[in-house]
Amino acid sequence: MELNHPLTRRQSLKKIAQISASLAGTALGLCPLLSQDSARASTAGKGFIVEGIGSKEDYKIKDLTGKVFEAAGGMGQFVSRGDVVVIKPNISWARRPELAATTNPEALEAVIELCLDAGAKKVRIADNTIHDARRCFALTGVGMVAKRTGADLVFPRSSLMKEMKLHGHRLDIWPVFVPLKEADKLINLPVAKVHGLSTLTLGMKNWIGGVDGRRSALHQDIHQSIVDLAQFFNPTLTLIDATRIMITNGPSGGSPSDVAVKNTLILSNDQVAADAKAAGLFGHDPGEIGFIGLGQKWGLGTYDSQKLIQQRVIL
Amino acid sequence: MRARRLVWIRRISQTFFLGWFLFLLVESRLPEDAYLQYSLVFSSDSDLRLSQPVTFFFQLDPLIWLSSLLSGQRLIDGFWWALGLILVTLFLGRIFCGFICPLGTIHHMVSWTKPSLKGDRMIKANQRTPGHRIKYFLLLMLLVGAVMGLNLAGFIDPISLLFRSLALAILPAIGTGLKELFDVMAATDIKVLNYMSYAGEALVSPVFGYGYPAYKTAWFIGLIFLIILFLNRIRPRFWCRILCPLGALLGIFSKFTILRLEKDQATCTDCKLCSRTCQGAASPMPGQTWENAECLLCFNCFDACPEGALSFRFRWSPKSSTWPDMGRRAVLGGLVGGISLPLLSNLDAGAHHVSDPRLIRPPGALPEKDFLQLCQRCGLCMKACPTNAINPTLAEAGMAGFWTPHLIMTQGYCEYTCTLCSSVCPTGAIMEISAKEKIERPIIIGVAYVDRGRCLPWSGNGPCIVCQELCPTSPKAIYLRKEVVPGPDHSPMVGNVPFVDLKRCVGCGICENKCPVKGRPAIRVIAAGETRSLKNQILLTVPSP
Repeated sequence: MELNHPLTRRQSLKKIAQISASLAGTALGLCPLLSQDSARASTAGKGFIVEGIGSKEDYKIKDLTGKVFEAAGGMGQFVSRGDVVVIKPNISWARRPELAATTNPEALEAVIELCLDAGAKKVRIADNTIHDARRCFALTGVGMVAKRTGADLVFPRSSLMKEMKLHGHRLDIWPVFVPLKEADKLINLPVAKVHGLSTLTLGMKNWIGGVDGRRSALHQDIHQSIVDLAQFFNPTLTLIDATRIMITNGPSGGSPSDVAVKNTLILSNDQVAADAKAAGLFGHDPGEIGFIGLGQKWGLGTYDSQKLIQQRVIL
Repeated sequence: MRARRLVWIRRISQTFFLGWFLFLLVESRLPEDAYLQYSLVFSSDSDLRLSQPVTFFFQLDPLIWLSSLLSGQRLIDGFWWALGLILVTLFLGRIFCGFICPLGTIHHMVSWTKPSLKGDRMIKANQRTPGHRIKYFLLLMLLVGAVMGLNLAGFIDPISLLFRSLALAILPAIGTGLKELFDVMAATDIKVLNYMSYAGEALVSPVFGYGYPAYKTAWFIGLIFLIILFLNRIRPRFWCRILCPLGALLGIFSKFTILRLEKDQATCTDCKLCSRTCQGAASPMPGQTWENAECLLCFNCFDACPEGALSFRFRWSPKSSTWPDMGRRAVLGGLVGGISLPLLSNLDAGAHHVSDPRLIRPPGALPEKDFLQLCQRCGLCMKACPTNAINPTLAEAGMAGFWTPHLIMTQGYCEYTCTLCSSVCPTGAIMEISAKEKIERPIIIGVAYVDRGRCLPWSGNGPCIVCQELCPTSPKAIYLRKEVVPGPDHSPMVGNVPFVDLKRCVGCGICENKCPVKGRPAIRVIAAGETRSLKNQILLTVPSP
C-alpha cells in the first residue's frame, strides 16, 4: 500500500483493526515471558546456597538434612501451610542405596518430614524411572519411606504423561509427568553421579526423569535438553544428595567401588548454583560442564558463588 | 447325605477353587507397592519374590508331575500335592474334575448358563460316544512322547492351558481395551475425566497388568481358549469329556473308587432327568452301566432324580468297577503319535545344530534339551516378568519349543538384578537363581553387538551413548572410545562410539530396548554366549559357574 495514497474509511478501519490485533497478540505472547522473567529475578535476588557436611563418624543424615534447611531459614520459608509438595528424587535404577545410583532414602525421609512439619497438606514422591518402577520403589528404599511417612508414591502410569509446551530453546512439545507440574512446591532431590555424555548428572539432569516419550533421543543434544527441562520445571528448591557420590561407571554404577563417600548435602534455590557446587566435589570446574554453562547463559541461575548468600554447616 | 446339600457343597468348592486360581493368577506379578523393609534395603542385593504360592495348582496337577517325571526324570517341587490327589482319586474318583478344576468349573458355568440343547436333544448329547476315547489317545500320546523325551503336556494340560490363556490373552486383552479407554479420558481437558481415568487405571492395572502388556501369538492362544469354551454349546463340558488328558489320567486312577452310584431300577420311572443333567455323560440312568471313569462327581443326577432311585454310597466292590473304555484304536494311535512326534521334533535345526540367535531364554533356564523336557508353557514366567520381555516363542525353538518362553528385547529387557521368573517356574525348567549369580556372571543369557550402520555415532549421525549409559554391569560392558568416523558430506569427524566387551556383557538387552533406533535397534542381543549351552559359546575361555 502506498503511503501517499489517501486511505478510504474502510481501509483505515481495517488497518487499525490489524494493528491493534497484532499489538494484542504481542502483548499476550510477552505476558508469560515477562512474568517468568520477573519471577526468576526475584529468586535470583535472594539466591542462597547451603553446604552441609557430616564430619563426625556417626552423624545422622536426617540431622544433617535438618541443619541444612535450618541454615536456609527453615522449611517454613519455602513450604506454606496447606501446600501440596512434590519431591522428585532420582530413583531411576533398581539398585540398593549403598551403590549411589539413587537418592539416599534417609535424606528423602528427612525432607518429607520437614515438609509435613511445615504444614504441607500432601507430600508426593514422583519419578518416571528407567528400570521397572515397582522394582525401583522396592530396592531403592523409597517404597519403605513412603510407607513410613505416609507420602504418596506416584506410580508413573502412561495416563499421567501429558504433552505440554516446554517453551524450550530445543524442546517444544514433550510428554510431561503431570504430578510434577501439579504441585504448589517442587523439590528436586537428586543424587550426584558421573555420566558418560553430560559428564555429570546432578540436579538439572534429574528432570529427564520428569518427562516421558522418546527420552533416549534427548542425548542427541543433551545439554540444551537438560537446560530446557530445568527451566520448564523450575523447582522451588534443589537438594543434592552427595552423602556418597558415584565417581565412575555412572550413571548406573553397580559396584561399591564406583562410590566415594562425601557426606555432603547441597541445598539451593538456584539450580545452576547447586549443580556448580556439586561439580566441585568431582573436581570439575563448573564452566566446563555444558549444561551448567548453558544454564547460566539462559538465565536459570548462576555459578558465580559471589552472587549468592553462602552458608556452610558442619555436623 | 442329602443330594441337594452335596450339590451345594460342590458349587461352593468350585467357586472357592476357581476364585483361588484367579487370585493366584492375578498375584503372579510384582505389586505396585512392592517394598522392602529398611534393614533389607541397606543389606546386600535382595531378590524380590512374590508373596503368594502362585504355583500351587501346578503342584496339584498329576499330569504335570507325571510328564515332568517321565520326560525330564525330575520330581518337581511340591509334587506331594499331586500324589495326594491321585490317592484321593483312587478312593473317590474324578472328584478333582467336579470339585476343584478351575477350567472344569468354567466349562460347567458356560454349559449351565443358557444351554444350547433342550429336552431330548440334551439327553441325546449326554450319551456316551466313541469320541470320549480321544482323551485317552491324547493322554497316551503325551505320556509316550514324554518317555521319548518330548514333553508336550503343557499344551493341553487344563491348568497350563487355563493359566496361559487367561494370563497371556484374556486378561491383557481386557486390560489393554480398558487402558485405551482411560487414555482417551486422560487426554481430554475435563478434570473429572482425568481423575476418573487415573482412579480407573489404579484399580485395573494391578489386575490386568501394568502398561500395555503384549505377548507374541497371544491372539492365537486366546482364540483357542474361546473355541474350547464354544464347544460347550455342542455338548456340556465338551473339553472335560472328550479332550482333557488330565481327566483321562484321573479316570484311569478312579478304577477302584469306593464312592459309587447306586441305582434302584424298581423305583425308576424312566424320566431321564438324570441323563439330562449329567455333566460327564457317565450313563447314570438305571439300566445303563455307570462309568466311574467318566463320572465328574457333580452329583446332579443324584439331585435331579425325583424318585430317589439314585444315590452315591461308599461301597467296596472291585468287581463292578470298570476299566475306562479306551478302545484299541485310541491306544494304538496314542503309541504311534507318541513315538512319531518326538522323532519329528528332532528335525528342527535347534536340536542338533545351532539354535536360533533370537532364542534368548530367561536367566536360570536349563540347557535347551532339559529345559524343553520340563517346560509346561504355562506362561507363569511371562506373566511375572516386570518388563514384559518374556514372550511365547513361535518358531524360534522348533515344534518341541512352541510357546515356550524367550525374551524379546524390543518389548522388554532382563532387569539386571531381577530373578523373579526363576522363582515362579512350577517345574524347575528355569532353576531358581539369585541376583548375585547374574551379577557375577555365572549366568549370561546372550551378548550384545553393535550394528554400526544403524548406530547414530558410528554412522556419523550425531552423539548418543544411550546404550553405554544404561549398561548395568560394573565396569560397563559397553564402553565408549573416541574414533574418527565418516561424517556427513564425507568429512571425517571424531565421535564417541560404543563398543561391547564380551567378557562383561550379560545379554540383559536394556541397550537394545532403549536404543533410539526403534524396531530393529542399532545394538542387539543374540543368544550366542549364553552360559547354559557350551555349544553356543563364542570365546575360547568360557566363564565358569
